[in-house]
Amino acid sequence: MMTLAQLGSDVSWMAIAPELVLALGAALVLLIDVQFKPKTGGSLAWTTGFVLAAAFGFALAQWLRLADIPISERFPFGRMVIVDGTGLLARFVLLVVTGLAVATGWRLFERLGRRRAEALALILLSAAGFQLMAVSVHLVMMFMGLEVGSIALYVLAGITRERADSDEAAMKYFLLGSVASAVFIYGVALTFAGTGSLNILEQNQFLTQNILLAPGVLLVGLALCIIGLTFKVSAAPFHAWAPDVYQGAPAGLVGYMAAAAKVGAFIALWRLVDLGFPTMRASWAPVVAGIAALSMVVGAVLAAVQSDVRRMLAYSGVAHAGFILTGLLSGIDGIRGVWFYLAVYTLQLVGAFGVVAAVTGASTSRSAISDFAGLGRRQPVLAVVFSTLLLGMAGLPLTSGFIAKFGVFQDAWQAGFEWLVIVAVLASVIAFFFYLRVIVTMFMEEPSGDDHASVGVVARWVLALVAIVTVVLGILPAPLLELAGDAVAR
Amino acid sequence: MIELLPLVIALPLAGAVFLHFFGRRIGEPASGWIATLAIGAAFVVGLVNAVPAFTGELHHAEHVAIWDWMPAIGASLEIQWDALSVLMTLVVTGVGTLIHVFAIGYMHGDPRFSRFFTYLNLFAASMLTLVLAGNFAMLFMGWELVGLCSYLLISFWYTKPSAAAAGKKAFVVNRIGDFGFMVALMLIFLNFGTLSYGGVFERAGEVLTTGTAVAIGLLLLVGAAGKSAQVPLYVWLPDAMEGPTPVSALIHAATMVTAGVYVVSRAAAIFELAPAAGYAVATVGAVTALWAATIAIGQSDIKKVLAYSTVSQLGYMFLAAGLGGYVAAVFHLMTHAFFKALLFLGSGSVIHGMADEQDMRKMGGLRKHMPTTAATMGVATLAIAGIPPLAGFWSKDEILGVAFEGGTYGQVLWVVGLITAMLTAFYMTRQWVMVFMGEPRWDDGVHPHESPRVMTIPLVILAVLSVVGGLVNTPFRLGLEHFLHPAFEGIDLAHPSEEMSVFAILAAVSVLAGVAGIAVGYLVYNRPPARWTKFQEGFGGLWTAWEQAYRVDDIYGATIVKPGKRLADAAAFKFDLPVIDGLVNGAGWLVRTVGSKLRVVQTGLVRNYGVLFVAGVLAAVIWMVVAGGGV
Repeated sequence: MMTLAQLGSDVSWMAIAPELVLALGAALVLLIDVQFKPKTGGSLAWTTGFVLAAAFGFALAQWLRLADIPISERFPFGRMVIVDGTGLLARFVLLVVTGLAVATGWRLFERLGRRRAEALALILLSAAGFQLMAVSVHLVMMFMGLEVGSIALYVLAGITRERADSDEAAMKYFLLGSVASAVFIYGVALTFAGTGSLNILEQNQFLTQNILLAPGVLLVGLALCIIGLTFKVSAAPFHAWAPDVYQGAPAGLVGYMAAAAKVGAFIALWRLVDLGFPTMRASWAPVVAGIAALSMVVGAVLAAVQSDVRRMLAYSGVAHAGFILTGLLSGIDGIRGVWFYLAVYTLQLVGAFGVVAAVTGASTSRSAISDFAGLGRRQPVLAVVFSTLLLGMAGLPLTSGFIAKFGVFQDAWQAGFEWLVIVAVLASVIAFFFYLRVIVTMFMEEPSGDDHASVGVVARWVLALVAIVTVVLGILPAPLLELAGDAVAR
Repeated sequence: MIELLPLVIALPLAGAVFLHFFGRRIGEPASGWIATLAIGAAFVVGLVNAVPAFTGELHHAEHVAIWDWMPAIGASLEIQWDALSVLMTLVVTGVGTLIHVFAIGYMHGDPRFSRFFTYLNLFAASMLTLVLAGNFAMLFMGWELVGLCSYLLISFWYTKPSAAAAGKKAFVVNRIGDFGFMVALMLIFLNFGTLSYGGVFERAGEVLTTGTAVAIGLLLLVGAAGKSAQVPLYVWLPDAMEGPTPVSALIHAATMVTAGVYVVSRAAAIFELAPAAGYAVATVGAVTALWAATIAIGQSDIKKVLAYSTVSQLGYMFLAAGLGGYVAAVFHLMTHAFFKALLFLGSGSVIHGMADEQDMRKMGGLRKHMPTTAATMGVATLAIAGIPPLAGFWSKDEILGVAFEGGTYGQVLWVVGLITAMLTAFYMTRQWVMVFMGEPRWDDGVHPHESPRVMTIPLVILAVLSVVGGLVNTPFRLGLEHFLHPAFEGIDLAHPSEEMSVFAILAAVSVLAGVAGIAVGYLVYNRPPARWTKFQEGFGGLWTAWEQAYRVDDIYGATIVKPGKRLADAAAFKFDLPVIDGLVNGAGWLVRTVGSKLRVVQTGLVRNYGVLFVAGVLAAVIWMVVAGGGV
């Protein structure tokens, strides 16, 4: 066992600098609000932006000198944290997603009044939590990150507390999330019972050196851990919360909530199964494949019958979770594809919810597809951006979504999951239907009712940028693919 | 300086982009001059970089990488700078600049003046992409882009239904050729695993079997025949004359239509492995040369004569390339660019001066009113007729010389070439005489006048080139041959005989043929129109056939276009609508039905979600434990 002295000896503040900056930044935002009581959100927006940029800067600095960091310094804090390219890439994605979410959802923060400081602080804290989750190789540490991130999200879901459905969403999310957390931590305990360690790397070491005659306890533990994480990415059959929460929570925040949890949980899941339990691949791979297949089918089929854009996006998120799990199955080779997918999908997700917030109002919970009728005429730029993002999610060639899907499918096929790839392709075909339905509504139907669509200047530019990136990465995926490949190699 | 080469493409491209956004504001004539400046600068950059090629220091192809797009398949933006691309670049930018200048005068007063130059610059950039490409992917990019520009420029006056239709026709016919070209590229990629010239041509001998080489060669020929308007795909080029005349000169005479000849020459290494494909190229070329020459005789539209003449001359180049006479083909490509561009610009000048009249029967006697145009076009006519020492004589004679040395089959083609040469001399003289000699037959209210300087100066420069351009490669001094040699390293080039006596005899025969053609043309058409009719009636139905271009368009319409339309209709309404749409709608219905049933699970009640969750946990845990052998 490790002693406190040992723990002290390998403290590396640099290794968790981005998280520290975010946490301190959250405190700073609250302090500014208390001290200066700003009437408008301007100063807070600048502070948040600065904090995000600083965190990004620290991550980038570490990335640049990553090759020089010797293996002995890769696992600071008593081997609880790992310094590697994957973790840094997770931070990049999370920080970009956070910045985009704040920029596109700024209307919401304006409307929140004095509570905007709380909301911003919570966003920063949850980002810190999910980042910690992505860089931890210790299951308790991972759980800490998960909880820090999730609890902040529960509160954010109910931040517009004068609205009953927002409260309902928060409550549902909290209740089901707690169950999932309990399942996860119970699984952690069982894996400890099975291997005698909470450190993923040590667990792997133990399993490679010993042969378990009756791995039952360990298998149950691993299954529970996987379920706890797949809940966070809203994979079926643990997805039931997602549509209700996506619909109830304020539109300006849903994109962030969905994206951040997915990044943290997927990376944690990858670390768990591929770093910790590659030896038990034969046991977990079929279960993960089953969850993936179920997610893709349920997500696609149920998304097709939704009449609310946010619920549709929630179910499509279930399907996307299945696609990403498909990539995870191909082991260490698949992580590059998973990376690319995560990066482009979370971008599109945040962008899409940014548009939804602009069209239906940042704090409402109604976003019927019919509200988008005639958007092509009312707000052509917004409609084109939304169409691009939806087509990207659908995986149309010449968008980043196509490259992403192609990548994970190819990896999974080579890993021997041909049947799963066939299911995935069929699900993608169904998915085209519901994405196109929204686009058709936007461009081919007459506007009905009043026009509430309004979008700020910054948000408009940011959204346009996301759409452009979606197309550019569809034509020139090489730089990001190389970056992802690089991250895995480091 | 070689790293400046990308500018050759970038400058006209920048010109096009700039004019697209600001052209209207800048207006006339400044936007024309900007476009001219862009391509002129590209010419200068090309010329500076061509110096090593002239001094003989460019032994191997130089490569300038612009952007690695898909390195795995050898598809990148990469310039290959060797003698062949040097020559093509100089022709495209040089002749292109002159035509740009001419167009400033010709397009005067057009409401879409600046848009015209946008397209013209875009075309130049595309054509340069084509000739500078270092791999087949970039070549194909340029290939398609020039097709697009050609389409845009043919139908430039799109409000005229005939122009719109001509653009469409050019597009569709080219598609047929492009299909063959694409399949050829796929075959190349399949066999070599790369599309880069180096990777393909250097290893062609060891990789390709004769059968594959023939297949690739024939497919390349299909593509080349589409772009270079060879039989049977030539029908779009005469219609393309609906475009403004500078377009005809630049795209449909001097540059784009020679792309097919360029590709065949570029792929010499493949054709060398496939003599059968080479003979096919030569045969197509010879048939086209004679076929189009006979049609040219019967035309009375000043531009149609030139269009068929171009088709015929391109056939000449194919004839030479197919027999392995790549130098002869490229040589003729160059001289033809000079005199045919001159003829087109001259005809443009005539049309301009005659208030848009194109019918030669309504011209006549113009030499007094348009002396510069008459003189320069006269030079071009003599050049294309093969009168020494003008440019056309040397290049045409080299082609005929190559054919004569090409065995029995080559000598058959030589006879065809000789007849074509005589016909060419005849119809070109006929044209010149009908336009510039005799009595005026103008419509009322037409007041012919010489064109402004901006139009006549390019004519004079091209006339000079048409006179001296052939001197770069004479049997006495094989300048071009040595110049191009590095580009055809390892290729067994076909040559005319080196015996001076053979050259002298062949030259005498072909000059005789040319003079005969000129004489007949002059004697018949330098008389009142009644005498022409009598002469033409002497040919009976044959002349009508020539006049109506053998009615090939009607035949195509009946045999290909109509059945094609019927097939498309059947596919759309008998198959697509009931079968495909039915399948799609059925699948959609299925998904919706299943989805609606599944939706019941989503009650909104947390306790139900909890049950679902626990059920999922149990299922997953049991599955995992059982699968993992935990019990």
